[in-house]
Amino acid sequence: MPKPAVGMFGLTGCAGDQLTVLNCEDELLGMVELLDIRDFLTASSDRDESCPLDIAFVEGVVASKRDEERLRRIRARCDTLVALGTCAVCGGIPAMDRDFDRDRLIVDLYGPGGRQFDALPVRALHEVVSVNVKITGCPIEKHEFLACIASLLNGDLPILPEYPVCMECRLRENRCLLIHDGLCCLGPITLGGCHARCPSLGVSCVGCRGPARDANLEAAVMVFEQHGLPRDVVWQRLQTFAPVPDGRLPQAWEER
Amino acid sequence: MNRVIRVEHLARVEGHGGITVELDRDTVRGVQFDVFEGLRLIEGLVKGRSFEDVPQIVSRICAICSVAHAVTCIKAIENAFDVIPSEQTVRLRDLLFRGENIESHALHLFLLALPDYLGFPSATAMAAEHRNVVELGLRLKKLGNTIQETIGGRAIHPVNCVVGGFGGAPSVNQLTRLRTDLQRGLRDCERAIDLWASLAPTDFCHSDTVYAALTPPSGYGYYQGSEITMLTRGIPRVMPAEELHLHNRETTITHSHARHSSFDGRPFMVGALGRLAVNGEKLAGGAVTAMQQLGLELPSDNPMDNNKAQVVELMFDIEHALAEVDSLLNEGLRRERATSVRPREGMGLAVTEAPRGLLSYRLGFDGEGRVTSANIITPTAFNASSVEDHFAHAVTQSPDKSTAALTHRLEMIARAYDPCISCSVHVVQSQRDT
Repeated sequence: MPKPAVGMFGLTGCAGDQLTVLNCEDELLGMVELLDIRDFLTASSDRDESCPLDIAFVEGVVASKRDEERLRRIRARCDTLVALGTCAVCGGIPAMDRDFDRDRLIVDLYGPGGRQFDALPVRALHEVVSVNVKITGCPIEKHEFLACIASLLNGDLPILPEYPVCMECRLRENRCLLIHDGLCCLGPITLGGCHARCPSLGVSCVGCRGPARDANLEAAVMVFEQHGLPRDVVWQRLQTFAPVPDGRLPQAWEER
Repeated sequence: MNRVIRVEHLARVEGHGGITVELDRDTVRGVQFDVFEGLRLIEGLVKGRSFEDVPQIVSRICAICSVAHAVTCIKAIENAFDVIPSEQTVRLRDLLFRGENIESHALHLFLLALPDYLGFPSATAMAAEHRNVVELGLRLKKLGNTIQETIGGRAIHPVNCVVGGFGGAPSVNQLTRLRTDLQRGLRDCERAIDLWASLAPTDFCHSDTVYAALTPPSGYGYYQGSEITMLTRGIPRVMPAEELHLHNRETTITHSHARHSSFDGRPFMVGALGRLAVNGEKLAGGAVTAMQQLGLELPSDNPMDNNKAQVVELMFDIEHALAEVDSLLNEGLRRERATSVRPREGMGLAVTEAPRGLLSYRLGFDGEGRVTSANIITPTAFNASSVEDHFAHAVTQSPDKSTAALTHRLEMIARAYDPCISCSVHVVQSQRDT
């Protein structure tokens, strides 16, 4: 079987998903033997910027015309486009800009000259081009990335969890931070796959993996309110990593 | 005859940046470190957010420095609300910073910088001939990540760090495993020092550099302290962090690009080489031997020495972490809750050393603990001016003025700075590109 031609790209973001790939220290050298990595700027100065690719991994958000052009070029040259990380999948932290007057934000931070910068309202990848595979997480989990590579090498699409963090949290027999401690833990509505990292340490889930498939947002908000958590704090927290489209509850929430 | 040397998209650095140098014959007319990173406006986005939410948000400024961002933010919040974390918390945070430093330095030294020295485009290409070397780098990098996972709960964007302390403490089993890893890390680090001491000298850029670094209250560290030292021509000047912070805020936002921060009108360098210049006499053990073996003299006039300085810090951090884990195991970790927090109106300031240098946070809060203002200055922003200065020196001092030779040197200088361009919250985009 010929090795698939692979590209690894970062748009605007923290580079945490590419770093997670490099953090597969035990697997890295074995993995690159199975792939023909043609374009990975963060790791190599030898790159082919135009060759067709079987698989393109893209992390980050579209936050500029430059990002948009790069993403469209990547889409045009690849068969399978994998969105890597919560930014690429949902918009992530930078997409909190939807709750703000962007012009005012830019002028506040950079002065009126900031208006000349190449800056667009933040979009997730699927809001610009079609996306074939979504691996969420802020950052992604190593094991999901490696499973994705293995599946794609076998000509399959990866099967990733659709259930919420609570599922894994219960399996670890953790004390429930929401029900017992009245904390604003977003586990019930957040996509699992992280083995409930945060609640296992007694820290509330902040929703960094984006919404679970069947998340009942309305019910979750009701439960949070019953525990005396202020609605605006809950609402802000819910939208930290994944904006609710049109700011509405909750049907659109499921569209990811 | 005018010409322009341009590195369109710098490879093997974190984030999106480039270099432009304009020459009139062989005289440098203009130098620019271009930033193409899109705006994420994070300092604006945290406004109105409860203090509890902010560390997890700002951590996303940068993955490689995510511990520094999250914990410096927490330190600023604790400063604003007069929260005194427990001694155990302070020790664990100190250890966590060392984990981040080890990971970041190993990644930079072996995967990003070393291929230049050995003549390869990437570490994976280098692995074909030098597999042992790449594996050595990956083991050291993994050691840093293991520390971060053990203390911070995750290698990137630590989940266990909260205002007032930690969610949970590491178990005895985790610390015992970490101890074994650190012992192996010591042996690995000795090999890393041998390797870096054996490389051909990179001796093409000399300048009288001003350095700045955090002044820890004791020892050589990255987390504790509230004063910084500026070192000009070997003469130190100690000042409270506020002074630098206020000074820099002005210069950062009023300029369109290029000149980002300066001290008394001069650019300054932050990072491992600056820390050694300022605090080098506090080093002990294997780090002192390493410095001799690497032929590193302080304060250095060669920015390429930042690579050697990172090797020295690797050794110090691993030794220090091993001693600390030993004493934590001997004394036993207490299960303690995070110190409780009572928000109040006011400002909080904190400064620490991220792997790439000084990191400064200034946060304002209302009476309910919601953010009213945020100002973050990152190492890459502090360094932006200094790196341009060194680009100019490297070009001027190069006997070979061919575009290929100059490009190679410019790229090596940029990489030696280990820039983290995602981090450059305040480094303004290049106008050329827009």
